[in-house]
Amino acid sequence: MSSHINHHLISVENISKKFKRPRSFKKENGFIKNIFQRDYKKAVDDISFQIDEGEMVGLIGPNGAGKTVTLKMLSGILRPDKGNIVIAGLNPYKDRKKYVAGIGVVFGQKSQITYDLTPLDTYGVLKSIYKIPDNIYQDNLERFCDLLEVGGYISQPVYSVSMGQKVRAELVCALLHSPKILFLDEATIGIDVIGKEKIQKCLRELNKSDKLTMIFTSHDMKDIENTCDRLMIIDEGKMIYDGSRELLCEKYSSQRIMEVEFEKPQKDIRLDNVICTDSENNPMSKYLHYNHSDVDYNEMILKLMNEYPVKDISIREPEIEYIIREIYKKNGRNL
Amino acid sequence: MDLIQLFLAYAKTGIKTRFQYHMDSFLLSFAVFFREASSIFGVYFLLLKFDTLGDWNIKEIFFMFSIISATYSLFIMFFMVFRDFPDWIKHGDFDRILLRPRGIFVQMLLNGADWVAALSHGAISVLMFIVSANSVGIRWNATNILYYIVTIISGTVIQGAIFVFFSAFNFYFSKNHGIKEFVFWKSRRFATFPLSIYGRVVQNILMFVIPFAFVNYFPAQYLLRKSDMAAYPAYYMYLSPVIAVVSFTIAYLFWRFSLRYYQS
Repeated sequence: MSSHINHHLISVENISKKFKRPRSFKKENGFIKNIFQRDYKKAVDDISFQIDEGEMVGLIGPNGAGKTVTLKMLSGILRPDKGNIVIAGLNPYKDRKKYVAGIGVVFGQKSQITYDLTPLDTYGVLKSIYKIPDNIYQDNLERFCDLLEVGGYISQPVYSVSMGQKVRAELVCALLHSPKILFLDEATIGIDVIGKEKIQKCLRELNKSDKLTMIFTSHDMKDIENTCDRLMIIDEGKMIYDGSRELLCEKYSSQRIMEVEFEKPQKDIRLDNVICTDSENNPMSKYLHYNHSDVDYNEMILKLMNEYPVKDISIREPEIEYIIREIYKKNGRNL
Repeated sequence: MDLIQLFLAYAKTGIKTRFQYHMDSFLLSFAVFFREASSIFGVYFLLLKFDTLGDWNIKEIFFMFSIISATYSLFIMFFMVFRDFPDWIKHGDFDRILLRPRGIFVQMLLNGADWVAALSHGAISVLMFIVSANSVGIRWNATNILYYIVTIISGTVIQGAIFVFFSAFNFYFSKNHGIKEFVFWKSRRFATFPLSIYGRVVQNILMFVIPFAFVNYFPAQYLLRKSDMAAYPAYYMYLSPVIAVVSFTIAYLFWRFSLRYYQS
């Protein structure tokens, strides 16, 4: 199997993982059978990919798509039922101790920083756990606290700092032992836009300066858009897209949305090849969805201006979120 | 050396965390202390009425109680995590352990001692020991002191084994508080009294299934030599370390085996 030389930092071959699901009682099975019956759900279904050093990859998918399970298999928490994972020459599950010494993980919902103590207390424990030499610990502590602006509250109990500050302190935890790979699972959950941008900027800097490889999962497409060059889209345990962000946009770039504001509320806009939806925030506005290659702009706008009391028009490029929703829809039809 | 350093690092933060809330910790340690003390009073009032319980007088029962408290106090310093294992899994703390470059089992042993409870139980045990140790006819020579130390270590390990074993079921079912409640807390109460007062079934359970009898009853017999020991083979008095090693090995292997079913 390993006859070919592995050039990739992360190499994942055909991994699958299924879980026991809470049993659903079915009448036709009878009581006893129901009690002993097990349902299985495929959380990850035959996924393969390679990631090189220094890449920033975003794993995208709706709740329950399998992205967190994939991340847990990559970080050595879960063992795949089938398939192979080799990262930096190690098997994350079998060589756990050696492997996790070289990775950093941030789970947005589960914090590794002690809530009642100061960030500095937690860093001290991590120093012992990872056996970080004094000089490296001091250097890293200074550098990352500076970069992520943790210095100001490093000696304050964590319960007294803001959510954004906490996540930044948490990131320092994951970086202290100079990892080669960083996994971030919904890391910026619950932070405001400015806080998020600050973190995204830091991560990009680290990626550039240290060639740190990063793998993200997030619900928030903006998060991923701002940091990752490569996207992997997972749905129902299957990989449905793996490629660059640009390619994804290009592929679907013929989709356009036009926001039109009217003098007074309109019921429906009837134009050829155009789908009309309501705007959520403005009762006077409508969204017009159309395919850029299907319509004649002159004709469309003329008709719009002539037949409706138009006040303002703006055209938007599709957002990744919209594109992804389209992909899911298509995926659903093909299945 | 390295492990001691890690233990101290954990202990430092553990104690610091606890004493962030002085009042809470203070009250909690009192609560634990009085809960344990109340069961001692229960025994005390019972024996006021009957004088002895199956040939054991009150001081001797206190001595037995001090062994249970001392071992339990050490037990919660090292095996706490296994006691609260369902919560550890639920809150993702176990994931965190898997993500760190240290032995899984070692991390669990060194991390998460409940210092407040450990100190309260420790205080009870010292108190009971002071009250009883010099008035139950034990000669504290080198052999007996050594025997006592081995007893405390074995007792701690036996209770640890019970918990490690039952916590392994959490890898299969997310909740099993029920079994634990029955197996551990109830049998710990049983171990307050001499084994010989119970019926055959309970005796067998406490000897061979959940071996609490080897935590305090048989070791106390070695030091006190009561007449009811005649009902059991004499070598049982020397068996505690063996039971400790065997039960812990079984529990550990079962736990390691079950780990592969962890679903996170």
